[in-house]
Amino acid sequence: MSHSGSSQSFADEVKAIPGGEFVELCFSCGTCVSKCMIQQKLEPEYNPRRLLRMVIMDMKEDAFDSPTTWLCSACDLCYPACPQQIHISGVITAVKEIAVEQGGKTTLKTAAVDQQTCVSCGLCAEACPYEAISLVQTKVPYRGLVQVAQVDPGKCMACGLCSAVCRSTSIGVPDDYTDKALMENLWDWLQPEGVTF
Amino acid sequence: METKPKIALFQCQWCLYSEPDQYWVDHNLPPSIRLMKVSCTGRINTLHILNAIQGGADGVMISGCRPEKCHFKEGNLSALRQHEEFLNLLDYIGYERDRVRFVWLDLQDRGRIQQELADFENKLQELSTANTLATRINAPEGEVHV
Amino acid sequence: MVDAARQPRIDVRTYTEVEKVEGFVGNFKVTLREKAKHVLADRCNGCGDCAKVCPVEVPNYFEMNLAPRKAAYVPMSQSVPLIYNIDLDACIHCYKCVEACGPLEAIDFSQEDKLVEEDIGAIIVATGFSHFDPSVMEEYGYSRYPNVITSMEMERLNNSAGPTAGNLIRPSDHKNPKRLAFINCVGSRDKRYNPSCSNFCCMYSIKNAVLLKQMNPDVDITIYYMDIRTPSKGYEEFYDRARELGIHFTQGRPSMITEDKETHNLFVHSEDITLGKVIEEEYDMVMLNQAAIPQPDQDHMSSVLNVAQSPGGWFMEYHPKLRPMDSPTDGIFFAGACQGPKDIPSSVAQGSAAASRASRILNSEKWEIEPTVAVVWPERCSATTRGRACGICAKACPYGAINIFSPEIPAEVVTAKCHGCGACVAECPEDAITQLHYTDAQILAQMRALLADKPEEKILAFRCHWCSYGGADLAGTSHFEYTANERGMRVMCSARMDTDFIYEAYRLGAGAVLYSGCHPQDCHYITGQLIGAKRAERLKKMFERMEMTDGRFRVEWISAAEGDKYARVLNEMQTVLDNMDKDELRAEIERLKPDMEKRLKKFPNVPGVSESMAYSDTLVSAINTQKKEPA
Ligand SMILES: Cc1cc2nc3c(=O)[nH]c(=O)nc-3n(C[C@H](O)[C@H](O)[C@H](O)COP(=O)(O)OP(=O)(O)OC[C@H]3O[C@@H](n4cnc5c(N)ncnc54)[C@H](O)[C@@H]3O)c2cc1C
Ligand code: SF4
Ligand code: SF4
Repeated sequence: MSHSGSSQSFADEVKAIPGGEFVELCFSCGTCVSKCMIQQKLEPEYNPRRLLRMVIMDMKEDAFDSPTTWLCSACDLCYPACPQQIHISGVITAVKEIAVEQGGKTTLKTAAVDQQTCVSCGLCAEACPYEAISLVQTKVPYRGLVQVAQVDPGKCMACGLCSAVCRSTSIGVPDDYTDKALMENLWDWLQPEGVTF
Repeated sequence: METKPKIALFQCQWCLYSEPDQYWVDHNLPPSIRLMKVSCTGRINTLHILNAIQGGADGVMISGCRPEKCHFKEGNLSALRQHEEFLNLLDYIGYERDRVRFVWLDLQDRGRIQQELADFENKLQELSTANTLATRINAPEGEVHV
Repeated sequence: MVDAARQPRIDVRTYTEVEKVEGFVGNFKVTLREKAKHVLADRCNGCGDCAKVCPVEVPNYFEMNLAPRKAAYVPMSQSVPLIYNIDLDACIHCYKCVEACGPLEAIDFSQEDKLVEEDIGAIIVATGFSHFDPSVMEEYGYSRYPNVITSMEMERLNNSAGPTAGNLIRPSDHKNPKRLAFINCVGSRDKRYNPSCSNFCCMYSIKNAVLLKQMNPDVDITIYYMDIRTPSKGYEEFYDRARELGIHFTQGRPSMITEDKETHNLFVHSEDITLGKVIEEEYDMVMLNQAAIPQPDQDHMSSVLNVAQSPGGWFMEYHPKLRPMDSPTDGIFFAGACQGPKDIPSSVAQGSAAASRASRILNSEKWEIEPTVAVVWPERCSATTRGRACGICAKACPYGAINIFSPEIPAEVVTAKCHGCGACVAECPEDAITQLHYTDAQILAQMRALLADKPEEKILAFRCHWCSYGGADLAGTSHFEYTANERGMRVMCSARMDTDFIYEAYRLGAGAVLYSGCHPQDCHYITGQLIGAKRAERLKKMFERMEMTDGRFRVEWISAAEGDKYARVLNEMQTVLDNMDKDELRAEIERLKPDMEKRLKKFPNVPGVSESMAYSDTLVSAINTQKKEPA
């Protein structure tokens, strides 16, 4: 932590990005934290209030290491609840932007494309709420220079919407909630008599 | 004893259940109901639903967050769009559309998931028992391709 | 209250509203509407027989609608004077009450509202505050969940004279709650509703917790808070006692309350900030400490009384530190929460102060006011010169102190009402009004002296007495460095900063001019700043059109606390001058001069101005020669 007056503080950096302007108004009241489902359902260390605090207190490294920076999906449940009307996800996105710029990497298992089967129809790009997918000319083994979908891991939030729309099952989030896992779970339960695998 | 209808329950992992409700869904579901957690209702492929029905489920319930409260901005709206199209398909092939139900739940709807499931169970019991999908195919032997 | 009613020189008028206030300090004419009670005050003995027989029941507002009252009622049992009232909106005209009243014959259904006019020397406004309705905060479920109540409802429920005789029960099943949560800052410190702090909820929340805990040590009470504010004497000690009694304090603002449909128990969701963990706790009952807000008719009262309102809507005091009980209008005072939320001790202190201020007026033969009042030169007013008073001055006056009785009669300033902002003086197109001690001539003489030497290097800064002058002062006492080329000019209000002064400054060759005053909400003359600001905007546009270099005319609103801003603005203006080529600047001054002269054509006709010019010319040349001669 530093309080050096001259050089631009972390808070100044965040405030310079649209969405991050009002970070210093935070009361640290915790309303956002209890609105958010991530701490309750996924990651106990997740805490937007603390991330805002880290920004204010110039704790850049800690902010970059915090899961909050990487897991916020900008659902904005907290925004209308904040008594200081801070656009919290805007602040977090600003922190993430700075982190990505300075070499930070998301801790999420982001979506991956099977370049061999992708037909470049663009349905996934349309479905993605985070505009993380673009169609890019790529050199693909055996196929040559073709256009295929490409995922920006800095933007992907691993929601899996792309895999729900892909008609050639070429894209999806690798670990959690794969088609395979879902189908096996179903089969496990239904399992018509006599059929096993 | 009357056999209970088999329900496949797809739940979005964020779906705003209160703690005890979520605990009940995670640990105390009756064997006639199977929980399938997904990252978002928008993640559900119509294929999953079709497979559930073809595999012998009597009904499919999809529970997600309220439209403006989607964890992934608009995933549940995308789900709803797909779902509605899927219902049209069911109509087309002559399968009762009531067997697939979409519900939106909020943290403030304490205890509603139990009630929704009970309602759905009743509804399914009302529907004819000849619920076999006309095009129902038996699951193939061996590897399942998805 | 009973004592006040007994005191022969106190006349208590209940069920009466102020309709109109005219006149001025010591001589107000107040019109009161005495609303029809349909009960004759001189006959009713307060026996209450009418209420006993009345068959109609409606919600009792005093009991926060937790109990019923009759259509024949008194607002509360301690009402002073104890005179019953027939609520005609609820009455079914069975006339059982008339029968019950019998020979007293106190009930009179034909009674109508009465308008009475009173001569009043001084007015004390003590209209208090109102309560934020938390049902708009959907997340807390008030009005949807029966067991979520407001603090006012709690006050009635645990009051031994209340609807349950002090037995705290919860609305859903009338059982005594064992687990209670109190939530602070509901609608306060919340930019979505009321950004300010309501001042007393922290303390009454602790008070209610302590009361309940003392009555029944078994109850479990948690107070959810963002910050606990205990700033007065003994308050922190009281807070300590609450902790000793085992009342729980959870730091964290709840985001939501949910309800179990069957038991109607409530679940409060919040982060426990000290743990950094989201918690969901179950309670039997939740109390919301709703924000204190201005009365719903506060805007209306402020225009009836002609007093200003602070940003939140509360009545605005004359000076926040030195005259907190005075309104900006002489002879009108504030007591209690109407001026801003405050607890009983502070309300009483302010009330006593206001009473003593008012008694100074009632006990004086004469009333001294500030000498800087406006005076009309009747022979210059357009009523005299052209037979038609334009009325611009009357429109400008924030205090309604200027009368224009008819178009042929010159405007008249009611001296007792004038506060000396100078708005009328600067606005009058005929220069027919002057302000004592701030005459055009006096200001001009000062300006000329300040711009005597190398005017193109100078920054002439007009500052208002209350704010930007204070800001400049603070910049000085705080040792904020700012340009030595600044020359300050004080007037009472930005409303007095006449366009003529600005033209004259540029005509004299000033490098730059600052036009500064209070922020709009801080103006000491109700709307003086607005008049000044409008004029400044006009000037700014005009100078833009004249292609004056950007920054040579600057308008800034600077409070007395913004010394840093004052210094910064001046330094920025200095940079503008520094960045200009000296010859270019001189050329620009020369280019604009004829325009300024044209605009100032009528200025020397203002009484005193040409004399002042002649005098200051001598002065200026004296200054310049003295400078040139080595000492
Ligand atoms: C739940 C709660 C608990 C509290 N507990 C405490 C406590 O324990 N200790 C403490 O010190 N403070 C407490 N307070 C604060 C206390 O209520 C205020 O400090 C106090 O009421 C302010 O007094 P007031 O006379 O200024 O205003 P009010 O009490 O609001 O009285 C104003 C009066 O003016 C009347 N009025 C309004 N407009 C007009 C009009 N146009 N014409 C004629 N009459 C009008 C109103 O009817 C009212 O009778 C509590 C406040 C709340 C909300
Ligand atoms: S809700 Fe707003 S004020 Fe409260 S901790 Fe979160 S960001 Fe800060
Ligand atoms: S505008 Fe100001 S100076 Fe003029 S009469 Fe009113 S209070 Fe007096």
